[in-house]
Amino acid sequence: MDIVTSKINEIVIVKISGRLDTNTAVDFENKLEEVSSSNSPNIVIDFADLEYICSSGLRVLIQAAKKLKQVDGKLVLCSMQDYIQEVFEISGFDTFLPIVSTIDNAMEQF
Amino acid sequence: MPKQSWCKSSLINDPNYWQIMSKNSLHLSLTNNLSELDQLQSDLSRFGVNNGLNKKVIFQLTLVTEELFTNIITYGYEDAKEHRIIFSLSCEDNEVRIQVEDDALPFNLLEAQSPDFENGIEDRQIGGLGIHLTRKLMDEITYERKDNKNLITLRKKIDVLPEDDQQA
Repeated sequence: MDIVTSKINEIVIVKISGRLDTNTAVDFENKLEEVSSSNSPNIVIDFADLEYICSSGLRVLIQAAKKLKQVDGKLVLCSMQDYIQEVFEISGFDTFLPIVSTIDNAMEQF
Repeated sequence: MPKQSWCKSSLINDPNYWQIMSKNSLHLSLTNNLSELDQLQSDLSRFGVNNGLNKKVIFQLTLVTEELFTNIITYGYEDAKEHRIIFSLSCEDNEVRIQVEDDALPFNLLEAQSPDFENGIEDRQIGGLGIHLTRKLMDEITYERKDNKNLITLRKKIDVLPEDDQQA
């Protein structure tokens, strides 16, 4: 799994690619911790190149969203492959985590 | 006699790992260690491609398998010993069957409580999410406790690509 971060208009964009499984979820969690703060509480996660996700990844996302909410921030997810988005829908997490089609849509959420 | 290959692991240092793969079936013996996940994912991917399964189905089977594997490792044992977890997959008559056999503590995932989806994000119960996904993604699940082992069988109906369209 690779993670590349950038910042546009005070919004941190985290591009994640490869597989988000039980092992790589730890690295992902650490990276989110690193880039989020009360000064940068708005994060977009770009899933365009993510091929795999499991409950460990979902858990990291939910915890991150909770923390950002506490500092008046927001987490927005974008560009998922259909079978990845389906996992969010089955788990009901799509009602708590905003999921949009493109990065542009994501930037409009803030 | 279907062609079978007997493989050693290329991804892990597990002397007790074994894998038998023929065109329509895959049998894997893994140790109860998360470091074996990569091997599991790699074997499942190859099995899926060999059987003409599409990307989405391969993803779903790998997800379910990982959830079960992770749960067994995390919750299944009271000792610090090495245990074997055996996965058997077959693809026949437009159905994929996964069988998981382990000698962990008795656990019937059919009786496990689903996470409470009524609560808000702050109260959402995180445990049980893997089981919930498994139940939703598979068409049929059976559980048996036999000879001190948990035996779970999962089935999913699939559309198989015609032979001509399958990748080598």
